[in-house]
Amino acid sequence: MGDLALGIAASGLDAQQTAMDTISENLTNANTPGYVAESAQLSTNPGGDLLGVGDGVRVDGVTQNSDGLLATNALQTQGVLSQSTALQQILQGAQSAFPVSGSSGIASDLSSFWQSWDAISQDPSNPAPRTQVVDLAQNLVSDFQQASQQLSNLQVNAQSQVSTSVTQVNSILKQVATLNGEIGATEGGGSPANSLIDQQNQLMGELATSIGAVAVPQADGTVNVDVGGVTLVQGTWSDTVVTTGGAGAMKLVAHASGTTIPTSAGSVAGQLAAINQYLPAYQSQLDTAANDLASTVNTQLAAGYTATGASGAGYPLFEGTGAAGISVNPAITGNVQLIAASSTAAVPDATNDAGNAQAMAELYNSPTGPDQQYQSLIQGLGTQVAAVNSQVQAQTSVANAAQENLQSIEGVNTNDEMVQMLTFQQAYQASAKLVSTVDTMMQALIQAS
Amino acid sequence: MTDVMGSGAISYTPAIIADQLISGLNTDQSQQATLEEQLSTGVTINQASDNPAGAAQLLQLNGSLARAQQYASNATDGTGWLSLGNSTMNQILSSLQSVQQTVLSVSGASLSNEPGALQSLAAQVTAAQQELTNLANTTYGGQAIFAGTGNVSQAYDSSGNYVGGGSAPTRTVAPGVQVPVAVTGQQIFGSGSTGVLGTGGILAQIVQDLQTGTTASLNNLQTNDAQALTTAITQVTTVAAQMGSDYQRMQTFAQQASSAQQTLQSEVSGIDSTNVAQVSTQLTEAQQAYQASLWATSQLSQESLVQFLS
Repeated sequence: MGDLALGIAASGLDAQQTAMDTISENLTNANTPGYVAESAQLSTNPGGDLLGVGDGVRVDGVTQNSDGLLATNALQTQGVLSQSTALQQILQGAQSAFPVSGSSGIASDLSSFWQSWDAISQDPSNPAPRTQVVDLAQNLVSDFQQASQQLSNLQVNAQSQVSTSVTQVNSILKQVATLNGEIGATEGGGSPANSLIDQQNQLMGELATSIGAVAVPQADGTVNVDVGGVTLVQGTWSDTVVTTGGAGAMKLVAHASGTTIPTSAGSVAGQLAAINQYLPAYQSQLDTAANDLASTVNTQLAAGYTATGASGAGYPLFEGTGAAGISVNPAITGNVQLIAASSTAAVPDATNDAGNAQAMAELYNSPTGPDQQYQSLIQGLGTQVAAVNSQVQAQTSVANAAQENLQSIEGVNTNDEMVQMLTFQQAYQASAKLVSTVDTMMQALIQAS
Repeated sequence: MTDVMGSGAISYTPAIIADQLISGLNTDQSQQATLEEQLSTGVTINQASDNPAGAAQLLQLNGSLARAQQYASNATDGTGWLSLGNSTMNQILSSLQSVQQTVLSVSGASLSNEPGALQSLAAQVTAAQQELTNLANTTYGGQAIFAGTGNVSQAYDSSGNYVGGGSAPTRTVAPGVQVPVAVTGQQIFGSGSTGVLGTGGILAQIVQDLQTGTTASLNNLQTNDAQALTTAITQVTTVAAQMGSDYQRMQTFAQQASSAQQTLQSEVSGIDSTNVAQVSTQLTEAQQAYQASLWATSQLSQESLVQFLS
């Protein structure tokens, strides 16, 4: 009797001790990213005596409370959220280049510019209102150049963010492959690789956030890394990601296979969308607005005459094309009398006539002019920013919910652990008590004999 | 680890609760920031994304508002021109009427033998001629109002010849509507032998006839010259009436432009102005929610089973 009872009690002490170790590990890692709570799997020891009492308890192993489906879901929702967040940041930056207030920005400066032509009509021979027209034209030019510059800066920043992300991704891919090797070796040797898997989880989280990578778990405990159907890590083999192309055509390519990697999640996907689609579209609309300004003004000027009766066709106010290239004709800056404000070529009337300037002022908000083009740019940009804002809001709650679902399985619940701790503590104390009871019984037997 | 996932309930770990509190705090804070921006700027559309369609409409309304302001400015400027023009026309008319009195006062029989009296009458007319030339060169803000678009500083030179341009300047006062702000000297005074001013003009002939002082010249004065002067006065009266009606049109357009400004301004406010009462209330609510979140965060995991185990 004695040997058996002591043996059973000893197995109990061992098993409760291991369970306590597990709880201790869980509690200390409660806030470790990627940590999956562990639990000791206890089972009855086979064997025992002929009566079938059994041979105590044993620890089959310490397993992770992981849930592959929830983990994948959490990674995917996180990837989608970081795509929208990255796009949101860039679009909000673009939006700040186009103020809608009544007192500053391209729209307001366009208004002042058109109205300044009527000031010429109030005093056509006075150079002051003509100089004001030129100053306001200069203002508009620098507005357009600044907005264009801001869009270019966003483009450059987004591209360098993608490059930085790709460098990080490549280093992580290599680490995942290395971990795959270690996990394979550890699990192949029969022991669980829980802490290695925790590291793997954390790396996969980073990959999901940056390029929307998905982990494809393999039977041997390793994971393959897949982005948009392109495998980047398989076992201990890892590929690298390279970027090709510039604005409008930037993409990620798998280095070894040369395959284009389709990106549909992760911050890089959002940045690429901005680089290839949104920013070039805004730039081109802004260019159109600048070109519309130049053509509207220059066409009207061509219909008029300078103060000396020369045709305005030879004296356009705006030169160059595109928002970055537009500039004020230096000839006019140098001599404001060259502004073709007159509607008559007859001298001396041309000096004091402002019929063409009056016609120019009426071109504000012309359907072919820059105002309406700019308004549609603002409306389009505003709509897209508003849309991505609400996407981010919705996806944040989806990602939070997925994360909570995952946490409730894989995370560490302090209260639960405490209850478990008490249970195992009591079981340990009971086993210890049993040892001392068996000892007392043995003593009684020895003294009796 | 036992879990209760089978029943569909979430097991709330401290990490989940912390995440939820943080996300709640962030939401409350960004809501507060939006409301505070609306209050501090006084407008609801601070970025295009606040209301994309409204933002585009706002830009268009602001454009129209600037245009209406310019119409009002043009009309005010035009009113100034026409007001000065009308008072000048009255002076021109009274000056011409005094010349007419002079002409009518000459009776061939009684004055043909009094060259001194005729000379003094001729001097009066010459003075009137000078006065009319000066009136014709009246300027508004440095611009000769009767010079048309041709000449800035004067309409008539010292010998009374027209040196201005062919047409009167206009002001744009409404979409596609341009109202003249003056008339040309030629419209008022005519030109050549039927013109009032200049060598060979009506006044010059009157002076010449008075100076000649013969019965024939005085007859000519009382018939042809008097006739021509009457025609000229009729013309001046007609032009003055036209300027008077332009002045009234200009004032009407000035009023229209300023009421258009008010309408546009109220449309802009309708789209863009912060409803202070409403936003303040919302802000108070948001602040309360934020304070509640802060309190909840300060209570984060203060209690767990750990505290009750000794």
